[in-house]
Amino acid sequence: MEDFLTLLLAGVSVGAVYGLIAIGLNLTFWTTKTMNFGQGSVMMLCAMLTATMVAGGWPQALSILVALAVIAVLMVFTETWTVRPALKIEGSMGWAVSTLGVGIVLQGLASLWFGSQALAFPDIIFTAIDNVVVFGVHVSLQYLAVLVLALALVVVFEALVRGTVWGQAMRAVSMDQDLAAVIGIPVRWIVLGSYIASGLLAGISGILVAQIGGTVDPAFGFELVIFGFVAAVLGGMGSTTGALAGGIAAGVLQQMVGGYISSAAQHGIAFALLILILVVRPQGFFGQREFVKV
Amino acid sequence: MAIARRSVIMAGIATTLAATGRRARAADTIKIGFTTALTGPFNEFGEGYKRGIELAIEKLNKSGGVLGRQIEIAMMLDDQLIPDRAVQNMRRVLDNKEIVGLFCPSGSGPTLAVIDMVQADGRPTMNPQAQTPTVIYPGGPGTKPRPNVWTFSIQNDIEANFMAGILGKKFTRIGLMNESTGYGKTGGELVKSGIMKINKDAVVTHESYNQKDQDMTAQLVRVQRARSDVLMVIGLGADMAVIRKNMTRMNMTIPLYVSAGGFSPPYLEGVGDLAAGTRGSQFRKISTVPPAPEVAEFLNAYKAKHGTDRLWGTDPNVPAPSMGGTVATGYDGMLVMADAWRRAGSTDPAATIKAMDATSGFKGVNCTYEFTPEKHHAIEVGDLTTYEYTKIDGKIALVQASL
Repeated sequence: MEDFLTLLLAGVSVGAVYGLIAIGLNLTFWTTKTMNFGQGSVMMLCAMLTATMVAGGWPQALSILVALAVIAVLMVFTETWTVRPALKIEGSMGWAVSTLGVGIVLQGLASLWFGSQALAFPDIIFTAIDNVVVFGVHVSLQYLAVLVLALALVVVFEALVRGTVWGQAMRAVSMDQDLAAVIGIPVRWIVLGSYIASGLLAGISGILVAQIGGTVDPAFGFELVIFGFVAAVLGGMGSTTGALAGGIAAGVLQQMVGGYISSAAQHGIAFALLILILVVRPQGFFGQREFVKV
Repeated sequence: MAIARRSVIMAGIATTLAATGRRARAADTIKIGFTTALTGPFNEFGEGYKRGIELAIEKLNKSGGVLGRQIEIAMMLDDQLIPDRAVQNMRRVLDNKEIVGLFCPSGSGPTLAVIDMVQADGRPTMNPQAQTPTVIYPGGPGTKPRPNVWTFSIQNDIEANFMAGILGKKFTRIGLMNESTGYGKTGGELVKSGIMKINKDAVVTHESYNQKDQDMTAQLVRVQRARSDVLMVIGLGADMAVIRKNMTRMNMTIPLYVSAGGFSPPYLEGVGDLAAGTRGSQFRKISTVPPAPEVAEFLNAYKAKHGTDRLWGTDPNVPAPSMGGTVATGYDGMLVMADAWRRAGSTDPAATIKAMDATSGFKGVNCTYEFTPEKHHAIEVGDLTTYEYTKIDGKIALVQASL
């Protein structure tokens, strides 16, 4: 039972981070039907900036805010210079190549600026030693904090999307950009905002994961984005609740397979099971089948 | 106008002569080449051995070079410890026929990926860091070595015997984790079989993980469920930090033993005070106080050029023993190869190989090197010792310890 709870908590916490990454991918998918394939490098950059500033004596909170501000500016650049030009040509997949390209350039720049070695990432709020005992099981406060923060962000995000004018506008843009523009919605700003929000979610995810591992390097983030993508597809592309559920499902499945079947085949078996789920339910947990009238 | 034209012609001739002279001088140098992890999360190894080679070359060139010629690094490429990239890079290095001495990449994965083509090429090759025995002995330890490759690293079988000796005698229920690379897999298997030879009642729970995994809960739960009394991990520093933090979060208080690679700088940087109590094997000679003259010469040269940086470690007076693996293996490899050229009176591959196989009593930083046609490794169990991270005066230090 103790093993099960330990695996469950680790799976849910790490899975919640996958969910956050998935929501970030969903955001841009809603507004432009594109995804930022350089999202892993955005996570890396935010974590490395934070680690460097904290190591330089800056207060943690200020370091995180500055790092997130840099990410916001970077996302403005990404949307303006790499995605928007590609979208001018209908059916072009240029955005996939250009966002991936930005990610690779960011990796190179990070190696140049921070060095290519792994940087120590500071503990945020809690350390690895901090834990509470629940039903005889040592529950890490670091994991709990990650879970609570991820859930809180999802709740806030959902509230913003459903309860504010900007949220309504974003949903309108996701349904029909032309019609949204006709009724006066600033489509251009909504799209830009979705990229910024997507980058901020990725940045926060990077910080949450880096403090668990303890180090961050320029290659950080690539595998996490794959799991984020899996979470988005598993939950149903475009669904926030689905993204979170998909992330948690992927995280828990990974831990349970590793803990009870084989740690060597952890990723392989977990992915095989995910494929099986998608065979049975191709639209994901919360996605809806699309019907096209002919 | 005529004067101006003559000046241009004279300048052209002078430039051409200077360029020809430079080419002639460059052609006169003894050239070496290699690919290694100069960047990437495990670059402490590639950057380290590059520094070792550079220090050795500076020492050799200062004293007039070898055979009256200066030594130069003609090609130095970055593979980030990625096997595919190492293969592409090594192909480019091998295509340069002016290069007479080669070094293997850092790490067993990239080295195993290039080693057959290096053997087929036939030029003398030093292996500074890859630990898998098949890099040197394709049929396994005790079989015939590749004729043109010598190792300066701690071979997995040597380290495994050393660690199995400690663990097998002291513990019965043993958790064993290794990274899923050539280094990790062979290391894990050798430690396991070594433990079973020493202690037939031992229960070994053997798990693996991927490099750069950010969470190891599943593996540690399995070790915990098996009621292991100790955990031994074969891997590198950055991953070791993830494991140590994970253990702390799970309140796992059993002793942690790590392989030589795990003592690299990212471990201490990643876990800080949590490193206290971590034990493992490393080179003995480099951190022995007072240092032997050849070690002191190396350490002084390193300090003068790089200071007491992250590869040196936290104690400004005594280097971290991991420097034996990150820097000194490159240094020793370069000096031993230069010694072979000197004794052979040539850089011809066949003559160099013969001289390398006759290396005897060469005092290096990590050990005294002895090679024969049958024995292409030098580090033995006696060249290793046990270390433990201990908190002294509020600071974490790696000290030699009796385990």
